[in-house]
Formats: sequence, C-alpha cells, structure tokens
Amino acid sequence: MIPAYQNIVGMPRVAAIEHPFARPYGRAKDVETQIAVLRAALAVAEAAQAPGHVEHLPFVWPEPPEETQWHPPVPSPIIELINKRRKG
Amino acid sequence: MTLEHRVDSWRFAGKFLKRVLGSQIPSQPTHAPIPWTPISKPVRTSRVALLTTAGVSMRGDTPFDMEGERQRPTWGDPSWRRLDADATAQRVEINHLHIDTALIREDLNVALPLDRLRELEASGEVGSVAPSHYSIMGFQGNDTSTLENETAPAIAAAMISEEVDLALLAPV
Repeated sequence: MIPAYQNIVGMPRVAAIEHPFARPYGRAKDVETQIAVLRAALAVAEAAQAPGHVEHLPFVWPEPPEETQWHPPVPSPIIELINKRRKG
Repeated sequence: MTLEHRVDSWRFAGKFLKRVLGSQIPSQPTHAPIPWTPISKPVRTSRVALLTTAGVSMRGDTPFDMEGERQRPTWGDPSWRRLDADATAQRVEINHLHIDTALIREDLNVALPLDRLRELEASGEVGSVAPSHYSIMGFQGNDTSTLENETAPAIAAAMISEEVDLALLAPV
C-alpha cells in the first residue's frame, strides 16, 4: 500500500502491492486476484532470506486512480482538522 | 530487457495525502534494527493467521472507538480484536474513518481473505488456517506507543498460544 513506510517501521518482510486503500487483496468478488495476491504474499514470506526484504508484486489495479473508489463518505477527523487549520 | 516493477506508494493517495504523509517519511531508513525470525517450515505445512488494519470486530464484541477519534482527531483507537476463522462480512462490524468501509462490507476478502486462505488450505498450499485472526484500526494519529508496547505483544502472545507459524498483516 505505502511501502515507503518501511523507512520508518522496518518490517521483516514486505510484499509491496500497488492496490488502493481498503482493498489490498483486490476487488470484491474477484476471487482470482484475491487468491493470487495471498499466494504471492505467502511466497514472499517463504523466499525472504534477510530482515528488511521488500518484494514488489507485479499486480496492476484494473482502474485508473481517478476512477478508483476508496475515500470515506465524509473526510476523516484529522483531514477536517488540517483543512480547518489551512483555512485559518 | 525488462524493468523490475516498482510499486508507487502514492499512486492512489492523491496529491494532498502524498504531501501530508510523504513529508513524514524520511528518504533513508530511520527504523530500529529489524527483528528476524527465520521461517521454520514451508508454508504448505504452516499454520497461518491473517491480520488487518481495517478496524474489524465480531458483532457482539466492542467495536473500535470512532467517537473518541471524532472528539480527538489526532488519536486513533489502539486496541485489537480477535476474529473467528469463519468470520464473514455479515458477522463483523467495520469501523475506520479513513477509508470507504462499504468496499469491505461488500466482500471481507478484499481486506481479510479468510475464504481464500481456506481454499489454499484445501488445496494443500497452506498447512492450516489458524483458529483466530486479528484486527487493529490503522489510524493511530501521533502516538503509536500503545500499539507497539501493548497491542502488538498481546496479538503475538495470542498467536503463540494457538501455535501460529506465519502471520500476514495487510494494511488498508
């Protein structure tokens, strides 16, 4: 999701995937992608040989970002707070 | 020549979130030494547990505290929930103010693929499905100390008590 966080967190093994927030394993009812992602993540666990291993999985989300739904129906409290502060 | 695929951390985030979150992430690692537990057995003989940060709780259990976050926007509920191995979207509550939880209610497998894990167990690719799986709520504001010092050790202890070999955490 945001593998850049690895610089702060330091996870032992990372299977990075370019899927949107809320749906790391794929779209609803997309059984084929869901099981492929799960299988790929388990394979990373088995293949990693040293701490901090990051593998970039080759999955491609089938919708462009501007058409991909993930945002909550209303902005989160922290986003509302940031927006309020920006407006002064 | 083929170029190695590199995941773009910000592809779906949008400019605003990229600026806000990206500014908090250093370009070089700043983390403590990474703990390492070698895999003790192949996945096909391992007991596997899943974790999600989607704020999932079993119906009847205490849901994650959204009202507290609304009152204190820089705070996120740092507690955890145990989930049944046969949990379905109809049997859980999902509370997370930073994503569209309807996407997960439509099919729990998009964030917690218990059906898919059972299928891998049935096909012999996974040794067994753990009796319990786990959820936290991913937004932790500016204080991750409870999550790190209390929640994570408690989840690890619960997994150990159920002889889990391998845990897979998927942030949402």
